[in-house]
Amino acid sequence: MSTASVPVAAGTLVRRKPPWAVRRRRFLVAVADHSLLIVVAIIFLTPFAFIVLTSLMTNEQALSSHLWPSPFRWHNYVDVFREAPIWRWAINTFLYSVLATLGVLCSSIPVAYALSRIRWRGRDLAFATVLIALMLPPVVSVVPLYVMWAKLHLVGNLGPLIIPNWFGDAFSIFLLRQFFLTIPEEYLDAARVDGCGELRILATVVLRLAKPAIAAVALFSFLYTFNDFFLPLLYLRENPSHWVLQIGLSEFRSLHQVQWNLTMAATLLVMAPVIILFFLAQKAFVEGVTLTGVKG
Amino acid sequence: MTETAVTAGAPFTAERRRARHRAAWRRRRLVLMLMSPWIVGFCVFFGYPLVMSVYLSFTHYDLLSSPKWIGWANYKYLFTQDPQVGPAVRNTLWLILIMVPLQVLFAFGVATMVARAKRGVGFFRTVFYLPALAPPVAATMAFVYLLNPATGPVNVILGHLGINGPLWFQSPQWSKPSLTLLSIWGIGNLMIIFLAAILDAPQQLYESAELDGAGPIQRMRWVTLPTISPVILFSVVISVIAAMQYFTQAYVAANIASGQASQAGDQTVNNLGYPEGSTLFYPVLLYQHGFRFFNMGYASALSVLLLIVAFTVTVLIIRNSRRWVHYAGAVK
Amino acid sequence: MRRGVIAAIALAAILAAAAGATARSAAHAGTKADTITVWVGWSARVLAGFKKVVAEYDSKHPDVNVKVVGGINDDKITAAIRSGNVPDVVSSFTSANVGSYCKSGAWVDLKPFLSKDHLDVNVFPKTSQYYTQYNGKRCALPFLADVYGFYYNKKMFQAAGIKSPPKTMSELTADAKKLTKRNQNGSLKVVGYNPFLGFYAGNAPDLSAYAPLFGAKYTDAAGHSALSKDPAWSRLLKWQKNLVDWYGYKNLQKFDAGAADEFSASHAFEIGKVAMMIDGEWRVAFIQAEHPGLAYATAPAPVDDAKKNLYGAGYVNGTIIGIPKGVKHKDQAWALLKYLTFNAHPLAQFSNLIRNVPTTKQSLNSKEIKPDAHFKTFLTIFANPNSKTTPITAAGNAYGTLIQAFAVKWQAGHAGDLHAGLQKLDKQIDAQLKQAQAGGVP
Repeated sequence: MSTASVPVAAGTLVRRKPPWAVRRRRFLVAVADHSLLIVVAIIFLTPFAFIVLTSLMTNEQALSSHLWPSPFRWHNYVDVFREAPIWRWAINTFLYSVLATLGVLCSSIPVAYALSRIRWRGRDLAFATVLIALMLPPVVSVVPLYVMWAKLHLVGNLGPLIIPNWFGDAFSIFLLRQFFLTIPEEYLDAARVDGCGELRILATVVLRLAKPAIAAVALFSFLYTFNDFFLPLLYLRENPSHWVLQIGLSEFRSLHQVQWNLTMAATLLVMAPVIILFFLAQKAFVEGVTLTGVKG
Repeated sequence: MTETAVTAGAPFTAERRRARHRAAWRRRRLVLMLMSPWIVGFCVFFGYPLVMSVYLSFTHYDLLSSPKWIGWANYKYLFTQDPQVGPAVRNTLWLILIMVPLQVLFAFGVATMVARAKRGVGFFRTVFYLPALAPPVAATMAFVYLLNPATGPVNVILGHLGINGPLWFQSPQWSKPSLTLLSIWGIGNLMIIFLAAILDAPQQLYESAELDGAGPIQRMRWVTLPTISPVILFSVVISVIAAMQYFTQAYVAANIASGQASQAGDQTVNNLGYPEGSTLFYPVLLYQHGFRFFNMGYASALSVLLLIVAFTVTVLIIRNSRRWVHYAGAVK
Repeated sequence: MRRGVIAAIALAAILAAAAGATARSAAHAGTKADTITVWVGWSARVLAGFKKVVAEYDSKHPDVNVKVVGGINDDKITAAIRSGNVPDVVSSFTSANVGSYCKSGAWVDLKPFLSKDHLDVNVFPKTSQYYTQYNGKRCALPFLADVYGFYYNKKMFQAAGIKSPPKTMSELTADAKKLTKRNQNGSLKVVGYNPFLGFYAGNAPDLSAYAPLFGAKYTDAAGHSALSKDPAWSRLLKWQKNLVDWYGYKNLQKFDAGAADEFSASHAFEIGKVAMMIDGEWRVAFIQAEHPGLAYATAPAPVDDAKKNLYGAGYVNGTIIGIPKGVKHKDQAWALLKYLTFNAHPLAQFSNLIRNVPTTKQSLNSKEIKPDAHFKTFLTIFANPNSKTTPITAAGNAYGTLIQAFAVKWQAGHAGDLHAGLQKLDKQIDAQLKQAQAGGVP
């Protein structure tokens, strides 16, 4: 993305001022473009608006054709916490997300380094295994893994969700490797001349230069585990004390026979952490997503 | 590598050879240490399940007693008898052939519009990206509410416009389109990838095309599409893989839309695929057999089939792409 | 960014420490008395009632500490047994599943316990004995029964000039049409009787609630599925579809989607949006708790016009309770199970709280049971010899699921010819049972 600005600037230099008619046409096209964009943007935002509005209604209103709450029932947000152990779900979720993300980082960075900056026989083969794992749908392996965890008596707690992340994640390894490859050799050589071992180089030079990629991997991993529903459904279903937010939310209606207004309030609460995280780390997010697309 | 460069020209003495040997050994140990998480991970969480899947698919196994070898019976039942496999495959194909293209098209359209915008690119990017962040469970629940045929805001608004809105998640004709709407709402990731690719396209190409008298459509056809075709390929591949694993939204939508939390009634609500099996996608079927009925053997047969199909499809897409994808430079 | 990561690590460490601490303290408390866990499907008010019953047992038995977990369904039970994290006592509303629980051994055989304590299962009524075993293997005991009867809104009956509750299906249809009110745009405002399969549990989705009212038989003498052979099924399905079509499929579908949750205080019958319904006896207690002022009455459900003699019968099933495979405190679990199912006191006590039908002959006549006119109807239906439950098969609940899937298709008008459809369904059911019995492929 950063390279894009260079040709643009070069282009504007040569450009002569276009005649008035052309400018008028361009202006009208721009207006049309923007208004279409604004309409689509509003459509994209309406679901959020309705979630917020419904979360402030009484249950009767939520099941009526009124779209605007009257009166506003802020108390719903107090009731949600009373109806469901949201704090416990949140703690479980963060345990899962944080420990899994740490695991992904600790295990994937060294692997990506070995696959990109050290030469050894069999490296291509090892990288091929990463690519293969990347292409395999995880759904395929759930049955034997479930059997394995059941035999280890770990079904029903967070173990089966967290542990695999400490043994390398194909997507993260791939992303990091691609990024490590772009680090100029001179930096590493300079460090080697200074007498650094490979581990020192990894810990100092590479980690420092690969910050955007590492941030992206951490964000994706956090987001993925925070939003994950499938694995928690398999492994935690029968043990409510270990439920994560996504399971709790999906069972919210049947569990407490509560109403749509409270359900929407809970929905909003579950969305909130990710959205806040996004606004705090917007740049890392966008760079990260771009990285996946361009490097792929 | 610098070491080898230095030592290459030096004469081989026994001591040097030993030193080299030691260095190589140290290096091998280092690589092994760095690679160890992946070596273990690949074997335990990839190799083992793969082998186990194949083995279990020839057994009857309910996790209560040990697996019983039954030969090809699971596969025979899968291909000739199971009345649910056909519809599940068709439903998943629907996702691949209709939902994925719509997602890609829509993401591309929005990205093009945002790229053309002179002002507020950051703002629009945020707006279109936000829904992609919403956890799938939460987003699905919200959509089931929004599309409630009786009281949902969408049908209420349609009613004010004099349109008798459809039954959305409650009707087998509309349930997949409803899920498609949900997925289009969440195209943020694709959109950002496209946007970056479009903004990355060399501006001179556009200018020279414009000088040659190419209109906006021609510029799109001859400049934009070729330059971003690798990105389109990438998006299609990940979207197809995602469609083959489509589970969470289907599970939650069916669960909530069918609605009846039977508390004192006698039915365990078998609501997977509600309504009328129209949202019973292949992974949902796999879940039903594996984790509702605990027919681990049969579920393994289903996953082996999915594995083969997923691999074939991915390879086919990438193979055929050579024809139309334009690689500007070395991508990898 | 780095500060964020450090904070996250610190947070994780604190959380892990906290989790460990609570686990330790719980383990510490457990050394004095064994904690036994009971899983039940109830929630909210009913769950509170059950906890009260258990608390009494708990206080009398210092050697155990009973922990009750509510909101459990069969999905969770099965998953727990397969993964080895079982509670000590499990219960399920889905008595049809007893077939698969007994056959697979997921719930343990109770025979050794019963003979050791010289207990006779004949203290339970015949129906309740039937739905707690499979092929003579008893892996469950009945813990209160559910009986389905007819509820109607007296005020709305008066306004429409209807004197007495309908006794036949054609009367039900006529009354339903009289009681229905539509909005200007044609949508349904009040539904006289909602025949839509899948609307609340009263209209049991697998048609089981209707079967006894039509005298419909599931199997023939040879044990094969007989849905296409017994004409009662076609009569039932045709009656049901005619009424659905009178409302308009789409109208009813929208009405249902706009109705509040079945177990919320805004239940459509309780707020006067539905005038009549077939529902379980537990509704009496719900109305008592949520809308004590509602003017309603109960009666046996109307029956097939061709079989008027069936009037008074109804659908019966019940909560089943047992001990899962792999349990840790087998004997304490059995002691609690025995207390809950054989002792008249807890049965009567719980029945009073949640108005479910008690399941021993002794407790049915117990003086402890508080009389209630609405509830009495259900005790009579329970005693009726024509009252039936669904067949207990090796396929468990999957059996009903097949029938339900077909009926739902039929009511939507997607099933084509009824007789041909039922014939195909019979074949599917037979195939399914054969497979389930063989223990082979699903």
